[in-house]
Amino acid sequence: MTKKIAFWIFLLGTLSSAVLFLGLTVDTHRQVASLSHADKLSENVVAGKRAFEKYNCNDCHTILGFGGYYAPDLTKVVQRVGEDGVRYRVRHPEEAFAKSARKMPQQHVSEVEIENLVAFFNWVGEIDNGDWPPQDSKKRLSRSEQRLSLGAAVSPGAAVFQTKGCMNCHSLHGVGGTFGPVLDTIGRKLTVEQIEHYINNPKSVNPNAKMPPQTELSDRERDEVAKFLGNLK
Amino acid sequence: MVYKSQKIANWYFTIALFLFVLQVVMGLWLISNYVFTIPQEIVNVFPFATARAMHTNLLVLWMLLAFMGGTYFIVPMETESEIWSPNLAWFQLIALVVTGVVALIGFAFGWTKGRPLLEIPPPLNYMVVVGALVFLFNVGMTMFKARRWTVIQGTLLGGLVFLALLYLAGIPFYRNEVIDWYYWWWVIHLWVEGAWELVTGAIMAFILMRLTGVDRQVVEKWLYVEIGLFMFTGIAGTGHHYYWIGAPKYWLWVGGVFSALEPLPILLMVIDTMNHVRHRHAKIINPHTWTIAVGCAVFHMIGAGVWGFAHTLPQINYYTHGSQVTVSHGHLAFFGAYALLNLLVFYFAMPRLRGIEIYQPTRAKLGFWTMCSAMMLMGLTFGIAGVLQSYLERVLGMGYMTAQSYMRLWMGVTLVLGVFFLGGVLITVFDLLSPKAATERLD
Repeated sequence: MTKKIAFWIFLLGTLSSAVLFLGLTVDTHRQVASLSHADKLSENVVAGKRAFEKYNCNDCHTILGFGGYYAPDLTKVVQRVGEDGVRYRVRHPEEAFAKSARKMPQQHVSEVEIENLVAFFNWVGEIDNGDWPPQDSKKRLSRSEQRLSLGAAVSPGAAVFQTKGCMNCHSLHGVGGTFGPVLDTIGRKLTVEQIEHYINNPKSVNPNAKMPPQTELSDRERDEVAKFLGNLK
Repeated sequence: MVYKSQKIANWYFTIALFLFVLQVVMGLWLISNYVFTIPQEIVNVFPFATARAMHTNLLVLWMLLAFMGGTYFIVPMETESEIWSPNLAWFQLIALVVTGVVALIGFAFGWTKGRPLLEIPPPLNYMVVVGALVFLFNVGMTMFKARRWTVIQGTLLGGLVFLALLYLAGIPFYRNEVIDWYYWWWVIHLWVEGAWELVTGAIMAFILMRLTGVDRQVVEKWLYVEIGLFMFTGIAGTGHHYYWIGAPKYWLWVGGVFSALEPLPILLMVIDTMNHVRHRHAKIINPHTWTIAVGCAVFHMIGAGVWGFAHTLPQINYYTHGSQVTVSHGHLAFFGAYALLNLLVFYFAMPRLRGIEIYQPTRAKLGFWTMCSAMMLMGLTFGIAGVLQSYLERVLGMGYMTAQSYMRLWMGVTLVLGVFFLGGVLITVFDLLSPKAATERLD
């Protein structure tokens, strides 16, 4: 091989890749409008994005998988903890993470900014991004739920409890989150019906409840998980 | 032979080394945040996010200063002339360092653009652009006046111009988060897997040629092939960051195929380095400088090539994306490809700039091997934590903090390794700032 051929390898390699890349960039711009629902990109959402950047949230949290890896990914945060869950964590991180091994800074975010952040997260959560992250994929969770409940040892309620995010906050026999109360013997305090009612609307039972209403659960799922918890005595 | 204006490079190197130490100290604070529970009062005033912004910006700043210093060292030798304006080189150094220091202090007070790695807010980022333009103008004028074009010079200048242009993509505010990340990667990916590789290729070729005495025609021929492959795989390979951001599905194919080829140019660089070393015409003067050159090529291959390939395919990346696996790859790749490259330049240039032809390699070896072993092991511990995270959080669907609790032990081990790494860095920096001439000839 001569130096001249080497030069042509360089030139053609660079140009072909650049042409492909720039061509796809033009097409990506066209498609992102619908994939990201750009028509719903309201001023609130943009203001939320500005607040997200103002408080440097992205250097602890990831969003769409990018950023700091120190705190949970926020792509599907509204789906995961609910709008109120977002508001509460941003407003009172010192309370929300009092028992957590990692803290979130109290940055005195204004109420307007909090609403804008919620709008921003709602918008991001709707982006058609190939069903990432896997842990928030509705498809996958229902599959694992099915698999678990098929196992003889696990009741359907236990499967729901383990796969629908209850354990992000609550623990059973030392496994699970520390944010909410331990549920090892919850059946001694509440009946199945009371638990079902609580899951539906926590604030109607306990006005100070921090748990968001579990509107994501189907009737069957709520029924099963309440039966499971009510029998923990 | 030393040109008078080359001496400015020594200041770039010295400041870069100082920033490198600060970067590693910040890293130790970050890993402590994973191992210990930092009280709310401290988190309120100095959150992880601020420290991370400092850690990453220090990295970018010290590497850019090292590249610039390296350029000011190499260009006079390649063009056989003095730098066009040493005063501009001074002005540019001061402007960039002042901008950097103001930015770092600003982060502590919440003055940030809020985009990871590109936190430097306007108008400071315009200062960065001015600094870069002055630098390119100065280097360009030196080359233009000398009219002694070489492929190494061209690659170096091309890489630096490309680098500066890409920085512009990170400056605007994008309303759409998807588009924002799309162009964020034009800066980050096309830097480290594009422009910086051009700079690396040129610097490696230059140093190998000088160390081994291998014919320029041979070195430059392989340089063309290397950078051709880097550009071919790297540019379209940007697609491996577009899998899960809401971009069209064809990026899974484009990103997967092109980035699977990305290790090829690095492999070529390793083979090339080994070949030049084997077929050397020059006598070995400083064996340790050779060790760093080979170490850089091999570590570059492991960190960027192997670790990058390990999670670049969409089927795997779906589970590892945005986990500690990325952290593992980031540390190994930056250290292997760029930190070692800059240290190679430092060891090539700094003793020489002080009139030391043959340096005493005892401390240098200790520092080098401590850094390399600690970083390799850190790559493994971060990697184990990352695999755990991918499995527990993404496959089993465990809550984020629950999964993190299983990773804590490995973060603790990483902290200990980080202390060793800092030790290696301190030895290296101390050695570079006060190099000792060898007492006896080492043949």
